[in-house]
Amino acid sequence: MKLLKIGISGVRGIVGESITPRLVMDFAGAFGTFVNAKPVLVARDTRISGPMLHAACASALLSSGCSVLDLGVCPTPILQLLVKPLRAMGGISITAGHNDIRWNALTFVSRDGTYLNSFQGAEVLDIYHLGKFKKVTTDHLGRIKDAERAADTYFEKLADFINAASVAKAGLKVVIDACNGAGAPFLGRLAETLGFELIPINHEPNGFFPHDPEPRPRNAQQVVSIIKAVGADVGFLLNSDVSRVSIVTEMGESLSEEFTFPLVANDLLKDQCGPVITNLSTSRMIEDVTRSRNCPLIRTKVGQSYAIQSLLQENGVMAGEGSGGVALAKFQPAFDGFLTMGAILEAMARRGKKISELVEELPRYHIVKEKIYCPPTKIHSVVNEVKRFFHKHDLDTSDGIRVEDKHGWVQVRTSGTEPMIRIIAEDRAKDRARQRADEVIHFINLIIK
Amino acid sequence: MKKVSSLKISISGVRGMIGDSLTPQLAAAFAQAFGTYVGGGPVIVGRDARPSGTMIEQAVIAGLLAVGCQPVDVGVCPIPSFLFLTKESKASGGVAVTASHNPKDWNGMKFISRDGLYLTPHQTEEFLDIYHQGEFYLVEPERYKGLRSEPNPVEPHLKKLLSHFDVESIFRKRFKVAMDCGNGAGAVLAPRLLGALGCQTVFIHAVPDGSFAHHPEPLPENITEICRTVRHQKADVGFVQDADADRLAIVNEKGEPLGEELTLALAVQYMLGKNPGPVVCNLSTSQAIDDIARLSGAPVVRTRIGEINVVDKILAMDPRPVIGGEGNGGVILPDIHPCRDSFTAMCIILEYMAASGKTVSALQKGLPKYFMIKEKVEGSAEQAYRLVNLLKKKYEGQGKMDLRDGLKIQMKDHWIHVRPSNTEPIIRIIAEARRPEIARAAVRRLKRQIAAFRQKM
Repeated sequence: MKLLKIGISGVRGIVGESITPRLVMDFAGAFGTFVNAKPVLVARDTRISGPMLHAACASALLSSGCSVLDLGVCPTPILQLLVKPLRAMGGISITAGHNDIRWNALTFVSRDGTYLNSFQGAEVLDIYHLGKFKKVTTDHLGRIKDAERAADTYFEKLADFINAASVAKAGLKVVIDACNGAGAPFLGRLAETLGFELIPINHEPNGFFPHDPEPRPRNAQQVVSIIKAVGADVGFLLNSDVSRVSIVTEMGESLSEEFTFPLVANDLLKDQCGPVITNLSTSRMIEDVTRSRNCPLIRTKVGQSYAIQSLLQENGVMAGEGSGGVALAKFQPAFDGFLTMGAILEAMARRGKKISELVEELPRYHIVKEKIYCPPTKIHSVVNEVKRFFHKHDLDTSDGIRVEDKHGWVQVRTSGTEPMIRIIAEDRAKDRARQRADEVIHFINLIIK
Repeated sequence: MKKVSSLKISISGVRGMIGDSLTPQLAAAFAQAFGTYVGGGPVIVGRDARPSGTMIEQAVIAGLLAVGCQPVDVGVCPIPSFLFLTKESKASGGVAVTASHNPKDWNGMKFISRDGLYLTPHQTEEFLDIYHQGEFYLVEPERYKGLRSEPNPVEPHLKKLLSHFDVESIFRKRFKVAMDCGNGAGAVLAPRLLGALGCQTVFIHAVPDGSFAHHPEPLPENITEICRTVRHQKADVGFVQDADADRLAIVNEKGEPLGEELTLALAVQYMLGKNPGPVVCNLSTSQAIDDIARLSGAPVVRTRIGEINVVDKILAMDPRPVIGGEGNGGVILPDIHPCRDSFTAMCIILEYMAASGKTVSALQKGLPKYFMIKEKVEGSAEQAYRLVNLLKKKYEGQGKMDLRDGLKIQMKDHWIHVRPSNTEPIIRIIAEARRPEIARAAVRRLKRQIAAFRQKM
């Protein structure tokens, strides 16, 4: 079975199997038809397959009459922010985020700089399935324009938004592991903009990932091993397109990626109150934080597109996910790793506290995340059957199945990006979290067999 | 007549119309088939100056990367420089995005072997088999090769030209040259070459943007502007390149076009004067070539129409021919590279002018005088085949017949040639004689005959 995941705002697969020039051109042609011969931003992360997808996208966009504003290797949140100032009708970011090097994907960005919502995504998909792409004659073809300099605009906006003066005054020393991804070429700019001392690791944008580009403790060994030795104040891990961040404390503790969002929220909600958006798989930490600040918390399905749509509809303050993605409405409606790091550094500087002290302010939960391979053709029916296991409980079925009680919760859902069933369990007590997950996993294994 | 198909897949590559048949998907599929055929390695990718070149080039790059090749992007590049680079750089092959002299709305791809030559008919067959089977060798990303770019792809070609020709004697003359690059790829190299040869230059249409101020085929009716320029600027010679810079037309110092047949004739006269040896050209090329070669005692070998046929013959012959080419302004000098090359042609003409001390019009006077008529009538390849059989009977015993490409009949004071076009659903008629009225009469007679045969065709 070839792996191909078509989501609301993009298409993801394994290069050489499902990701072929033809497929990329058909999707980019559908997107070009959707935006109807207007300029489109194109960026990619550092994956070695990136230039193939980039060339295929460019060709198909030109053919549909769209000009290509080429950002080269560039993080998705920078592309998203630039859509409006560059007067583009949308963007395509070529990145598979946290997936390993075999994968690549197209993410479609709307004229507002957000991931396509479900209506826009459905329209692109309809055009794709119809297979009738706009084809213009020679005189109406688009052109490729180099837009790499436009990233300056992003850092100017970031400098305006974050209180760089106070960050600079704190004299922070920061380790960042860019996993040789799209963030790598921009780390120096970030440090300059925010005024911290940078110790970069894995900052060669060469497309070889030294570890899986997923910011989480098991990929944090390198940061952990140096952070005390160099006397850094904090360490960060980025995914390949800088939409997710995880944190390592100055003590060398690698925090679960679940901490990133509540850490930012805990500080930000002191100054501004309003709805906070998260998904159904995210830790309860955020519930405690929002409750203490009297802000409403809204839970959506998993995926940046859902969270951001809700953020805009509910006029929210911020949105975030347990995977380490955080969006602040006042900056831009997008999960933005550079902004996230900036917000955390600002909190440390402003409050004069160490990162470990800020973490101490958060309640501690234990979260267990597991995944089980399941053939894509029966994945939904398997998840559906899990209802039988929980027949005595109240079920939340807005994204898979979620069961909650006083002490914790467990969720079973299909992955949006891989043919996997994800099981997430959380509890105050470590062994109970483990037990919640293990019971369901056992049941699922019986069904699959 | 049936509608002209907007997609042509033939021994000269793929051609199609932008916004219609030639899509990114099609271009990428051909590139994947080609990458599979050459089995990986570096593949040179370039384009002529057409505005649609970038779109097709990007598709070709995507296709090559997907099958594990390393595309070497050379951007806008004249085709002879491209072929030379492919050979010199030891690449696995090349894909040139070009539609030669077709109008602006067309584009296409030519596929080039590791020797820097267009694929032979046999190679094309193998390659097209892979395309039609549609099973390309897609590699996993661990085996992807990066994309390279070559900012100065004309350098090896320029060096070769400057080391081969007598630069010093041309330089001393300080010729004034009016040059029309036709907004084609030739503009990338022409200023550098003429500068290195010490020429004073007046350029028109020298921005390689494919805007094609005039039709990109250097026929006399398309080049009136350069003729004026030669007169006004009092230039010693005027040159006109076609869109991909393989063909050259010449204008004398009086501002009169020589006619495309005379480019090869002049070149052959000079080259054989230096070094007598065999000449190769196609069946439709002027008889002037035979007269010139006879003076040097050199044999002339004729081939079917199509550059690859001339080149194949050149490569197969021993001793190696001195020069070859086509009557359309395509000059091939095997010592440089076995391909049509407008830059080589310019060097030959300038060296001839320098060595002889004569004006172009004086050199023109020294050539045998012939009058050629080229016409076409509607008709498919199938109809052309029937027509040839009918004409063969009709003209029985009136001359020496050659059936290698349609029908060519050599008569006492003229010859006629009837053949199907390789690129369009038409039948070409060519006649040549020393006197215009004889050529005209031969064409009239032939066309009458064809009209009479219409029902049987």
